[in-house]
Amino acid sequence: MTEISNLVLSIADNKQLLGLRYAEWATRAPSLEADIAAAAMGLDDLGHSRVLYGCLEPLGEDPRGADRESDPASLRALPYFDEPWTSWAQFVAANAILDTAFTVMIEACVNGSVEVLQHRLRKMLMEERYHFLHGRSWLRSGIEKGPLDEAWKEAMEWFGPAAGDTAALHKSGALSMGPAELRSRLEERLDTKAPKLDLDWKRWDPRRRRSRPGAIDDLTFGMLRGLEEKRFAPATAQKQG
Amino acid sequence: MTEGATKYKRVSGEAVEYEVFARKTRAEPLHQVGSVVAPDDDLAAAYARATYDEERWVEMTIVRKDHVIALWSPGES
Repeated sequence: MTEISNLVLSIADNKQLLGLRYAEWATRAPSLEADIAAAAMGLDDLGHSRVLYGCLEPLGEDPRGADRESDPASLRALPYFDEPWTSWAQFVAANAILDTAFTVMIEACVNGSVEVLQHRLRKMLMEERYHFLHGRSWLRSGIEKGPLDEAWKEAMEWFGPAAGDTAALHKSGALSMGPAELRSRLEERLDTKAPKLDLDWKRWDPRRRRSRPGAIDDLTFGMLRGLEEKRFAPATAQKQG
Repeated sequence: MTEGATKYKRVSGEAVEYEVFARKTRAEPLHQVGSVVAPDDDLAAAYARATYDEERWVEMTIVRKDHVIALWSPGES
């Protein structure tokens, strides 16, 4: 179950970071409705990450090590989430392409042969329907090419190489789709083709499912570990803790 | 809003108002719970679901306000 556990942890870490980045835009989106949608989608994805982390134990293997407390590069999120987004176009590209890529992978898990994933992940697909509508609508309104190309590239890398782990999981039946099917499904859902991509699999890190080095910013990493909360906690509470 | 957000303009048409209807149980009728403004049906659905999620609705639906046919208004009956 190592391969499927690693994949589930990757989905969980990415959804956690996606949720945090969405939430950062809850007061900065172009309209009040978009603010509220950003907050709601952030909460959804943070919730999804909790469910996914909870699947690791029943899967029989939890790949999380002690280094997650000290090394931001131990998290398995994509480079797209390393730094807070500075433009609405980055939000839209993540919402339309990466969020949908994660949903397509969850579809592959729900329709695969691993029972715990079949049952626990199904509800996410219903909630993700609204993320998809939101992302697709904003995507159709037109955004800059840079964030779009980056999101497509990272989505394709995240699906994995033609003969990699997701292909093996598809062959074994654990996933209902392999890399080629995942890509086709993503293109079908977004009603568009991926741009021409130059993927360098030699530099690809199969553990983090990315080729670019780096990690999330210190502030976000501190927040994930609860350090930011402790900084503002009363002195008495710190002594009790 | 940031400069990046405020300078961003939707190009998919003018935003229109949608009325949002919902109910908590199958036994009760749909009732109006609010409205949202959006440039298309997809975004209006996403906004309605995000904005009015305080209850465990069994059903939610949206209607473009300009598709509602008024028979008479207050003071006209």
